[in-house]
Amino acid sequence: MRQRLQTALLIASLVLGAFATSATAFGQQLNIKTHTLKNGMKIIVEEDRSIPNVAFYIFYRIGSRNERPGTTGLSHFFEHMMFNGAKKYGPKEFDRVMEAAGGANNAYTSNDLTVYQDWFPASALELIFDLEADRIRDLSFDPKVVESERGVVASERRTSVDANNFRLLLEQLQATAYVAHPYQWPVVGWMVDIENWKLEDLKKHFEMGYSPSNATMVVSGAVSATEIIKLAEKYIEPIPSNAPPPPVTTKEPPQLGERRLVVEKTAQLPLVAIGYHVPEAKHPDYYALQVLQTILFSGQSSRMYQRLVDKDQIALFVNGNSGASFDPTLFTIFTQPKSGVATDKVEQAIYEELDKVKAVVVTDDELQKAKNIQLANFYRQLKTINGKANTLGTYEVFFGDYNKLFTAADDYAKVTKADLQRVAAAYFTAKNRTVATLVPEKK
Amino acid sequence: MRKRIFSFLFIVLLTAQTAFAQSGGIKLPPYKKAKLKNGLTIILMEQHEVPLVSFSVLVKAGATADAAGKEGTAAMVAGLLRKGTKTRTGDQISNDLDFTGAQLGFGDGADFTTGRAEFVKKDLAKGLDIFADCLLAPMFPADEFIKLQKQTLDGLKAAKDQAQGVIGEYYNAYLFGSAHPYGRNATEASAAALTRDDVAKFYETYYTPSNTILSVVGDFATAEMEKLLEAKFGAWPAKNAPTVNVPDAAAFTGKKLLLIDKPDSTQTYYRIGNLGVARTNKDRIQINVINTLFGGRFTSMLNDALRVSSGLTYGANSFFDQRKARGSFAIATYTRNETTEKAIDLTLKILDQLHAEGISEKDLQSGKNYLKGQFPPTIETNDQLAAQLASFEFYGLDASDLNDFAQTVDAMTLADAQRIIKTYFPKENLVFVLIGKASEIETAVKKYAPKLEKKAITDAGY
Repeated sequence: MRQRLQTALLIASLVLGAFATSATAFGQQLNIKTHTLKNGMKIIVEEDRSIPNVAFYIFYRIGSRNERPGTTGLSHFFEHMMFNGAKKYGPKEFDRVMEAAGGANNAYTSNDLTVYQDWFPASALELIFDLEADRIRDLSFDPKVVESERGVVASERRTSVDANNFRLLLEQLQATAYVAHPYQWPVVGWMVDIENWKLEDLKKHFEMGYSPSNATMVVSGAVSATEIIKLAEKYIEPIPSNAPPPPVTTKEPPQLGERRLVVEKTAQLPLVAIGYHVPEAKHPDYYALQVLQTILFSGQSSRMYQRLVDKDQIALFVNGNSGASFDPTLFTIFTQPKSGVATDKVEQAIYEELDKVKAVVVTDDELQKAKNIQLANFYRQLKTINGKANTLGTYEVFFGDYNKLFTAADDYAKVTKADLQRVAAAYFTAKNRTVATLVPEKK
Repeated sequence: MRKRIFSFLFIVLLTAQTAFAQSGGIKLPPYKKAKLKNGLTIILMEQHEVPLVSFSVLVKAGATADAAGKEGTAAMVAGLLRKGTKTRTGDQISNDLDFTGAQLGFGDGADFTTGRAEFVKKDLAKGLDIFADCLLAPMFPADEFIKLQKQTLDGLKAAKDQAQGVIGEYYNAYLFGSAHPYGRNATEASAAALTRDDVAKFYETYYTPSNTILSVVGDFATAEMEKLLEAKFGAWPAKNAPTVNVPDAAAFTGKKLLLIDKPDSTQTYYRIGNLGVARTNKDRIQINVINTLFGGRFTSMLNDALRVSSGLTYGANSFFDQRKARGSFAIATYTRNETTEKAIDLTLKILDQLHAEGISEKDLQSGKNYLKGQFPPTIETNDQLAAQLASFEFYGLDASDLNDFAQTVDAMTLADAQRIIKTYFPKENLVFVLIGKASEIETAVKKYAPKLEKKAITDAGY
């Protein structure tokens, strides 16, 4: 029961300042083993018996970036279909059987990935393999079930986009910031596409993305690598692999000038979203951008909070981030002006703060604080078996090796004040930005 | 990211609150409870696996202690605790905390206010110093008060842009009525009426040692931690605080319906229910088993009917909001404007079915297994344990709440199930609250109650 030794040791040492060594030590202390099945699926197992439970993840390297106009949102829809019946366990059985054995599940889809998650008592381990193998090998596509699930996804879109001004504005921002790359369409898909997917589209998607060789399994919890590998050999290895999805060759051309858009919507207060094109996870500037993000946006002592919320008091909140991605992505800043404050006033304050980090290097204290926060947050993700399974898998797929999780500390340690100044100047330019404003509709 | 089950985590959290314990050999580790001379209750649990220490503080006054017309006071106090003390400015506190990556926060609930903090063992003295300073010597600086008040007002306004974020406020206000403390919410009017003096007075009245519970879980020696807590909190002057009494509300008899018009809505969000149970209800574990099967997990009766079999919604669930006094019970879901009637009809049909057909032996076993299987991750970390210990003390519960859980679950029979359904799940007497586009749904939803009451989402308050 309770937390693991390694996590805390790391936090302790990071505060001592010995980031790199502590992270490496962390990696060595975790009991991690890997194995690759003959069909190409890689397995990562982290044994941790602190609670008698297991977190079981399968990461498929397929997401909305692998889609085409006309069938946007198909990856996400497919994610739903993976729960709707296969050969051995028919419609409704996947969930019923799992929950009756004490397990729960979920899944998520992003631009880059489709990820399946099971959480269960260790006693249900073999059953989980049986359930997962059944749907990877023999998923069925019942037209009636497809139609019913179409309604569920439409409802999901209505609630997560139509009824959510942040998400609505973000969707419009992405659609404007990209002209060529597939990151321009929403993961959930355009409503008209949700209404028009065909059964054939789903079948093709399965063939394209669900080869075992296109997936990584990550298991954390009260299990041994030996038993996981044995079960994987029995249930997963016999499933044949086929070709990986065709590479996404489209590259977003450089932006040639500021883009602006306005969304008119029923709202009590306006919203502003600003997106800057920034590189993908494997790019050398990734870590400097993460540190800069922390200095600007993390905590009540951060520069943007201090300026917009605390000192000028012109915004209700301000946040900014960019996540790990396969292709160049957006660094997105979100803020809500207080009532009576014009959106351009908030916008200008943000630009002034960005200009400051370009003009003058940050202080040593700020850099140190950012690294401390970055690492504390990073280790907080590893406090639970669920957090570890998700984080190990994320590093494996985005950085090509789960060990990057432990060497990331070196990469953060190497970031200098000059790096921050350089990346700020390189990416936070007027030419490189898209500005989306949501304004309350005139009645 | 797109969660497949939008409300799933929410359900799990509620499950954790209501049915904390679980079998599989999981027992709450030993802990020590003591009282300082000034009346402060301290609870200490050693967990040596990690050199981390988690604190959870609970002050026995929350939103229900707010004076009428001054709703939002408790929340304002909580929000200002880290915004300046006798010896530190708010900026200093933020900067010192952020520098070590520490986390410290306070927030109000209905019945109490809580705070949590986590420090690395090495930084314990410094961290605890800041934590104790915020709790014992806040100054509520006038400029910080005005700032937070303005933010609160705008926040209350902006929240109404998202129906799901405010339907709970509307539901409680309508179910309990403004005469009951659980029916009162902070509104733009009440937040605007607050003064710095109200905040300071609330603090002076309720933030006293005997009205506070402090739990600590982590890597320390109990004797040393006791000394440390004595050093940091022992000088807090003893003072009696008034007890906040919340009477049990009466269940609503009959049917009533409130429609909140949100003209831009493409879906109708609704809650249907009545009065629920208190956290200390003797049947709480059995209630949780039944609710799991009715609306507490993916394959529940509600989600199966409204989502899986019909595609009417992305998710449907039910929950008991368990408080010091009886809280609410609600069925919650949403559907597109055109299918509003169909979905509500189906919801009521499933509720009828629960009463008419009960549950099967097989389903009962499945529900038991599910609750037991999903339990251990809810007490996986020190901060989870610290929060649980403080809440046990507040509700007058103890380790048996957790340790006897599996036994109680396993002992539950079909006869128990029938009794629980009959006693705790509403049937004829129902309160409906809907947020949606009135011009498209009003005609259809009139039939659910003798009278339809209507508000605009832009009307002040709830």
